[in-house]
Amino acid sequence: MEYKDYYKIMGVSRSATQDEIKRAYRKLARKYHPDVSKEKDAEAKFKELGEAYEVLQDPEKRAAYDRLGANWKAGEDFRPPPNWDEGFEFRGGGFPGGGAGVFSDFFEQLFGRGGFRPSEQSARGFQTRGQDAHAKIYIDLEDSIRGTTRNITLSAPEMDARGHVQVKQRSLNIKIPKGIKPGQHIRLSGQGDPGSGGGKAGDLLLEIAFNPHRLYRISDADIYLDLPVTPWEAALGAKIKVPTPDGNVDLTIPPNSHQGSKLRLKGRGLPAKTPGDFFVVLQIALPPANTERAKALYQKMQQELNFNPRQSLGV
Amino acid sequence: MSSHDLLPVHTGTVIEDDSLTLEQLCRACDVHADWVISLVEESIIEPQGDEIQRWRFSGTSVVRVRSALRLQRDLGVNLAGIALALDLMEELESLRTELKKMRHG
Repeated sequence: MEYKDYYKIMGVSRSATQDEIKRAYRKLARKYHPDVSKEKDAEAKFKELGEAYEVLQDPEKRAAYDRLGANWKAGEDFRPPPNWDEGFEFRGGGFPGGGAGVFSDFFEQLFGRGGFRPSEQSARGFQTRGQDAHAKIYIDLEDSIRGTTRNITLSAPEMDARGHVQVKQRSLNIKIPKGIKPGQHIRLSGQGDPGSGGGKAGDLLLEIAFNPHRLYRISDADIYLDLPVTPWEAALGAKIKVPTPDGNVDLTIPPNSHQGSKLRLKGRGLPAKTPGDFFVVLQIALPPANTERAKALYQKMQQELNFNPRQSLGV
Repeated sequence: MSSHDLLPVHTGTVIEDDSLTLEQLCRACDVHADWVISLVEESIIEPQGDEIQRWRFSGTSVVRVRSALRLQRDLGVNLAGIALALDLMEELESLRTELKKMRHG
């Protein structure tokens, strides 16, 4: 078992006051909160922080922890000395990071287990329905266009018969219905946490997110494509082939189109009763002036077109 | 044939927009109705329908309620703070998406 340096985790000295510890916790909690943070490993860091704070904010736990001595190094193999907790009384409850999951072996060895839901629940004798479980899954745009079956792996902490917490993985094959949109949820009845006392299992709620796509962007049920066009296609109008998730279509570009012009293909977005739309955003590509002939054409435009793109800037 | 092919295929139901009742939302997030009502009063989540019995929430409410719960529990943020934080986080998220688009576009 590895020793954890709770003071180091919280970035405070061993002589820090309770107020300093609280302030340090608030600051780091904002930094690593999984909802707010984009830091790598934010979730793991936040859990570690919750555990450190759980010990240091409680004068009794902190005193007991301090009694282990200051000579331990983080990560060092640790075994609590005999009777180390003699004379201390630990009260349960008030786990600030309790919802963040399970504390480390180190913590459990010292202070026992706490804040782990299923244990509390099964301790109650009466019939309760299991909690709904949540997970986010990433699918491809094509999965929503055509509908498919995807295999997902979920991991959740579970307690075995001897009361040890283990992360258990399970695999589920799930039908992805045609036309599902990012942010929507699929409910799988009875796939959540088991109930207790003969109660029904909860549901599993899967939040759908889309993997980034090489060509398309998705906004609600609408699909966007940036389409490169030549200056003359935009200026004169053209009929060009455009890829859509359903295959290529012929698109008419009206004359005098601009950079960024948006063209709509109605009903060619994500399928639904009222399907989304497919939007083509024109991106004008400039031909390189890398041959004498191309240069001559540009020079001809320069001489013959009276065009000032900076008119609105007053210059 | 992979081992996955041997597993049964689960077919769920899609939570359509504005289809969750107050009770279903509470159960999905494991929170009390009173607390959800206070989130509605702060317009952190916005149901369709005018009376409580007719309130219908969208699937995104589930995400917001759970975020709100974590912000309150872990950071001690009050309701007004939660509302502000969630709105700013949403804005940040859309700006990040926009930025990614510009970098790759």
